[in-house]
Amino acid sequence: MKKYQLGEFEEIVLLTVGVLYGNAYGVSIKEEIEKRQKRKVSVGALQSALRRMESKGFLDSEFGESTKMRGGKRKRYFKITALGKKALDYNMQTRLDLWNQIPDVAFEFKLC
Amino acid sequence: MERRTKEYQPPKWANRFLGWFCREELLEEVKGDLLENYLLERKTKSEWRAGVSYWFHVLHFLRPFALKRKTQDSNFNIMYKSYFKFAWRNMQKHRMNTLMNLLSLSVGIACFIFISIYINKELSYDKFHREADSIQRVVIDFVDDQGVRIPDATTPPALSLALEKDFPEVEASTRLFPAWGSKFLIGTSDQQRFYEKGLIRVDSTFFDVFDFPVLHGNLDEALNAPDKIVITKSMALKYFSKVDVVGETLTVYSFDNKPHLVSAVLEDIPDNSHFDFDFLTPLTFYWINKNWGWFNFYTYIRLSPESNSNEFENKLQPYYETKVTNPNDKNNIIYTQPITTIHLRSNLKFELGANGNMSNVYIFSALGVFLLIVSCLNYLNLSIAHSFKRLKEVGVRKVYGANKRLLIRQFLVESFLILIVSLILAVLFSELLFLNFDELLGSKISLLDADNLSILLTLSLGVLAFGLFLGLYQALFLSSHKVSNAVRGIFGSTGKKKYRLQRGLLIIQFTISSFMILGVLVVQRQLNFIQDQNLGLDVNQVLVIENISSVNNLDLFKSQLLNIPAVESVTSSNGMIGDFYSTTSLGYPNSFVMNFVNTDPEFIETLGLELISGRNFNSALEVDKQGLQMIVNEQGLESLGLELGDVGRLLPLDKQKGDSIVYGTVLGVVKDFHFRSFKNEIKPMALFYNDDGVNFLSVKLATDGLSESLEKIESKWKEFSNGTSMDYAFLDQTFQTLHIEEQKLKQVLLYVTVLAIFVAMMGMLAISNITIQNRKKEISIRKVLGASLSHISFSLTKRFVLLVIVANIIGIPIAYRVMTRWLEGFAYRTSIDLSTVLIVFGIGLLSVILTAGLRASNAGRKNPIHGLRTGG
Repeated sequence: MKKYQLGEFEEIVLLTVGVLYGNAYGVSIKEEIEKRQKRKVSVGALQSALRRMESKGFLDSEFGESTKMRGGKRKRYFKITALGKKALDYNMQTRLDLWNQIPDVAFEFKLC
Repeated sequence: MERRTKEYQPPKWANRFLGWFCREELLEEVKGDLLENYLLERKTKSEWRAGVSYWFHVLHFLRPFALKRKTQDSNFNIMYKSYFKFAWRNMQKHRMNTLMNLLSLSVGIACFIFISIYINKELSYDKFHREADSIQRVVIDFVDDQGVRIPDATTPPALSLALEKDFPEVEASTRLFPAWGSKFLIGTSDQQRFYEKGLIRVDSTFFDVFDFPVLHGNLDEALNAPDKIVITKSMALKYFSKVDVVGETLTVYSFDNKPHLVSAVLEDIPDNSHFDFDFLTPLTFYWINKNWGWFNFYTYIRLSPESNSNEFENKLQPYYETKVTNPNDKNNIIYTQPITTIHLRSNLKFELGANGNMSNVYIFSALGVFLLIVSCLNYLNLSIAHSFKRLKEVGVRKVYGANKRLLIRQFLVESFLILIVSLILAVLFSELLFLNFDELLGSKISLLDADNLSILLTLSLGVLAFGLFLGLYQALFLSSHKVSNAVRGIFGSTGKKKYRLQRGLLIIQFTISSFMILGVLVVQRQLNFIQDQNLGLDVNQVLVIENISSVNNLDLFKSQLLNIPAVESVTSSNGMIGDFYSTTSLGYPNSFVMNFVNTDPEFIETLGLELISGRNFNSALEVDKQGLQMIVNEQGLESLGLELGDVGRLLPLDKQKGDSIVYGTVLGVVKDFHFRSFKNEIKPMALFYNDDGVNFLSVKLATDGLSESLEKIESKWKEFSNGTSMDYAFLDQTFQTLHIEEQKLKQVLLYVTVLAIFVAMMGMLAISNITIQNRKKEISIRKVLGASLSHISFSLTKRFVLLVIVANIIGIPIAYRVMTRWLEGFAYRTSIDLSTVLIVFGIGLLSVILTAGLRASNAGRKNPIHGLRTGG
């Protein structure tokens, strides 16, 4: 279903926002992804993914308190919406279905 | 924590950039994220690497979602519309000012364009050959027994072939044998034939060395048989009225009426080739191929691209010495010249055409740059001065909420508007200049030619950069004033510093002006000096007819001419002033190069030479015609090592083959006379009574009825010359053309200088206007307290006088040095004396009085009440 379409990076971001529940904002998401996935994430790419998912309705956001650490700028915290949860479920389900369809012989690698 | 954030600041420009493109609603959060990330990175990375990373992240934000939406925002458009409106109103309000700005700027730019294209052309000589960098001309300087080196462009005929055979790096070589002043009768039939001087005889390898664009025919086979001829497009049109004439026949009557097959048609020879021709035929004198003793061929070689021309040149001298047969020739110095340097740097005897002059190129480029600087500075000065008047406007704008950025935009729009208009005007002006001065440039040129577009482009960019700078400066300067002062039209209390920039600019302008004035005066003086110099001969009223070899019976023709009452005397010779080609080695035991002319007893009378000792040739004495009796000039006498007392004695003149000595007599001595340009010293010269190679007829005419006597001479010519047309010139004009380069320089220098002074005066006027405006009240108070007009004028003008004096003190010594160098290029030269320097000073001071002085006395005469009432 087109409605729940998620890109690979988007899915990771969405999941990470879930993981960081309550503390999901730009830098923390970036660091979390970098730590877990061992991949570099640019702020720009991350923001672009966040915005995109927000416009799709998978994410919700609100401004938090401002801190000195950020030069007086407020954080924007992200939260997964119900729709976002559905999208994740849908994604996981389609993956699982696919996994289950794979016949066992497909994984029987032989040396020759 | 708090202190750390203060210490670590991310790159400022990256932030600005982000702010410029990123949407407002995203900006706060994004900036925060980036900063936090930056601070984290700073803990582990160096400042530089963290900065790079910051930039990296910022640039990663260049994504559609983050970019500002540039809509057809009506506000944006309206603001620009209003800028244009205000710019237009401002230009209209100060029409005179705008006009002066536009004029001075566009004239300056136009001159710059003109000069840079002229220089571009001078520098482009011979670069059109495909392998121009590896083409070299081999030349040999004569060195006589006294060790005097006589530069010479010609080489022996054997050289070219030998070089090609013995040096592997010589890929191709060719010899050129030009017409040496004679003309060839060429035609398709007896009815249609013309005298042509542009015929060069060359080796069949000519096109292996040079690349002249070909229209028709195969160049590989164009010159491989003696009866082939290569012609240019305009000659094809002249003789056949069409271009594709390969296979047609042209008869060269001067070569035993031999018919030649047109084997190729070339595009007309480009202007920027240092030699020029209309016809090429193969060299046919094979018997000279082993001759190392004649010097009348030009040798051009093309080296292989990987060879080193210096190494090759080093091998030349030893090689040459093994080849020459005459022991005297071993002293000669052989060397090579890259073909691309010949036009500007080579000034040898017997050049194939008139060459340019590197120092003129330098002078012209300096002039162009100077004028551009002066006009730009002037514009800068005028617009800054003018912007004082707009302080109030800026103040009001600020009150209504204009910020710095808006002001900058407004001033940018204004300065760009003026600059673009003046750029367009300049292009039009320069096109006009090209139309009027194509003689000076020697060819038709347009700025829109493809070659010149790059100049236009560079210039436009330069001008726009200048506009950017100017607009920024004006806006920043004006917006730096306090609003409360600005709305009342009061400058900040900067006091004396106020006009420091303007004064500096004026000093530069007047320095350049004084430099140029001195330059013009010196060139003028030198040219006058040349014209007033005693030539040693009388060039007025002398008509020179060329090609008299086509006259059937020369003696009869001469006597018929003498029957015309206005003809005073007639003489024939094998060369003319500026056109003497013949030289011979003379003198024993020490030989030197003697210029000579074959002529007759009337030569001295016709050209007004002064015989100071001995006698003229006598047509009754056969012995005078043997070629061993001669008349020399004073230099010639000195070079022969003789004194006036030796005239008439039998003297050893030269050593012939087999060491027998040839004796001859100096019959008479004439006063030194200039037979070449004044740049050259007077060289030894001998007259022989002989009709070998005689080709010029000089006719001295009475002053009145010039055109009438010319008609009579022409009708006589028709009787004697089988219908060939009469080529003639007046000697005084020929003499003028010898100094054409200097005449050109003077002309251009004069125009440019007048412009520069004009422009500088304009700047002065503007600044003095402003000064007076600001001191209105002061002037009025002084007047009320009893100051005299002269006192007021003086106190207003003295600063400007000082300024011009400073400018002169800087400019004159520089100009003095430069012009002294220039004068050193002349053998006969004037000097720069005190009066010249004083004139320069005088012109400078006069321009102050005419501008600042007049304005000041004008201001001083005004009723003080006006100044007191309104003065700021």
